[in-house]
Amino acid sequence: MASVLLDQVVKTYPGGFTAVKGVSFAVPDGGFCVLVGPSGCGKSTLLRMIAGLEAISDGAVSIGDRVVNKVEPMDRDIAMVFQNYALYPHMSVYDNMAYGLRNLKTPEPEILARVGEAAKILELNDEMLKRKPRQLSGGQRQRVAMGRAIVRKPAVFLFDEPLSNLDAKLRVQMRIEIRKLQRRLKTTSIYVTHDQLEAMTLADMLVVMNAGRVEQVGAPLELYERPASVFVAGFLGSPPMNFLDGVIEKPGLVRLSDGGELAYDHAHFGPPLGAEVKAGVRPERVTFARDGAGLPFTLELVEELGLGQLAHGRLAGADFTVALPAAHNAPSGEAQHLAIPLDAVHLFDRKTGARL
Amino acid sequence: MVENRPFGNALAHFILIAGVIVIVFPVYMAFVASTWDAATIANGKLGLVPGPHLVENYTRILFEGTGGTTRAHVATMLLNSTISAVIIAVGKIAISLISAYAIVYFRFPFRMAAFWLIFLTLMFPVEVRIYPTYKIVADLGLLDTYTGLSVPLIASATATLLFRQFFMTVPDELLEAAKIDAAGPIRFFKDVLLPLSRTNIAALFVILFIYGWNQYLWPLLITTRDDMQTIVIGIKKIVAVQDALTEWQLAMATAVLAMLPPVLVVVLMQKLFVKGLVETEK
Ligand SMILES: Nc1ncnc2c1ncn2[C@@H]1O[C@H](COP(=O)(O)OP(=O)(O)OP(=O)(O)O)[C@@H](O)[C@H]1O
Ligand SMILES: [Mg+2]
Repeated sequence: MASVLLDQVVKTYPGGFTAVKGVSFAVPDGGFCVLVGPSGCGKSTLLRMIAGLEAISDGAVSIGDRVVNKVEPMDRDIAMVFQNYALYPHMSVYDNMAYGLRNLKTPEPEILARVGEAAKILELNDEMLKRKPRQLSGGQRQRVAMGRAIVRKPAVFLFDEPLSNLDAKLRVQMRIEIRKLQRRLKTTSIYVTHDQLEAMTLADMLVVMNAGRVEQVGAPLELYERPASVFVAGFLGSPPMNFLDGVIEKPGLVRLSDGGELAYDHAHFGPPLGAEVKAGVRPERVTFARDGAGLPFTLELVEELGLGQLAHGRLAGADFTVALPAAHNAPSGEAQHLAIPLDAVHLFDRKTGARL
Repeated sequence: MVENRPFGNALAHFILIAGVIVIVFPVYMAFVASTWDAATIANGKLGLVPGPHLVENYTRILFEGTGGTTRAHVATMLLNSTISAVIIAVGKIAISLISAYAIVYFRFPFRMAAFWLIFLTLMFPVEVRIYPTYKIVADLGLLDTYTGLSVPLIASATATLLFRQFFMTVPDELLEAAKIDAAGPIRFFKDVLLPLSRTNIAALFVILFIYGWNQYLWPLLITTRDDMQTIVIGIKKIVAVQDALTEWQLAMATAVLAMLPPVLVVVLMQKLFVKGLVETEK
């Protein structure tokens, strides 16, 4: 058990490219931290620096109370699950799980016990333990990779997109299992994904990264409800948040680019008058106004999800999506009006993207 | 193929069988010749059926020698050839595995220079560097020894390059997983790379064994004693007798015997090949 602390961590690759530009955050002991961000933002790089597979150019990584910048991976008390599982193809499932323990000179009866325990947790039966990795399905391989990590009883688990090679259904199932497992073992975990849904559901603590920097750190719901920037707002949530350009006309009122009026809660946002803003509205917070009040909306397309509907169209010159719960069908006809509640409006600076 | 095309099948079989005959017939004739006496062969009366002297000829050649220019018996030559071919094959594989491992997995000064030096030696086979190599072997007093027969042929750029290519296809994650699993460089090599290279090693062993077995020029230069001769040279010496009739039946028996060990190696290793082809690992 250990906490993980990152202090101004920088990674510059030999070619001169800086993939991680000063990242700091702390994962408490037993916490489940998810690193999320678009492809190429440096998530894997950061994780590999924590694992010791990549040298740290600047800053410090601590596991427990120890700065591990110069410590070999095997001495960091970590275990890692790779995206492609990286199982040893020529070893049986049992040997795959036992290999690390054997290298640590763990007595054979102890190895047997630990692998047996892990196999039970992961529902791998004795017959499967004898097979080679290629004789397993993707989901089973995934379990073996997890098993290899848990038999070591490390202080920290590191996961690099462990579910991205699985089909959608299995992904959901394994996601739940990983969460259960982590609750049970209470091992500090750092999990990399670019899937925002996976991130939201797994994390105690979410770190949103963009272009080598941390955009925001916090509990998933906190980030969802109070995104610190346009980037976080647009990244979390599916369908993504809608954005409208406008100017603050008076406290509580944004004048949209087409002249429409959007009200916001000026107890929470205090931008100066005349400020150019981006107003963000989550699709599920919007409803169709039946009485002709509200903002004019051109309905272009309705998508049926089963769970509800998505109505796509245009509002104030921008693309706009409305998410409707089941049993609330979108009205027919192009010309519609939308009701946007006061507290559904987030304001961001149009230039810096920061929350106002 | 599930298709049923009688004519196509017949044609394919005809071509394949013709090919087999073309290749097998001379070998068969060598065998037939090795079972007759010298006179029958010399008179051109050799037919297609084996003769009555099989046991006699083979015992003589194996354990007594010919009494011609070479006085060693074929059993000794077979042993010499086997020992040097095995040393060459195993030595080449061991050295190239290690050097490919160094080049692919370690960052050290002049790594690329080392790689290109190895690459360059491709252009210098034994025949090109034969004089300096001979001089060194002679000065070291290694003439007429197994060391002299095999060591100069061991350094191998081809095998190094092959293993380098193979190692580069092994996913990096395996190395990283091994690092996290507390396996140092030697453990990773022994526990992961070697088992993964198994089929490559088998394939190379076959090729290199035959390469070593077929060496002619080098053994000819550095062996003077009869009991250090290799079989390939032995055949030549049996054929090239002076002032007497070549004992063709003995030459043919030697040739047949000389073919057996490589055939055996191929047959034995073939299983591993097929296994390697069927179960694609990695
Ligand atoms: N060995 C390397 N040398 C130079 N640049 C690299 C190297 N590895 C990664 N990069 C660059 O660093 C950046 C971050 O890479 P990283 O693998 O951390 O992205 P990621 O966030 O994990 O993306 P993904 O979600 O696609 O896996 C990328 O722009 C990538 O091109
Ligand atoms: Mg990645």
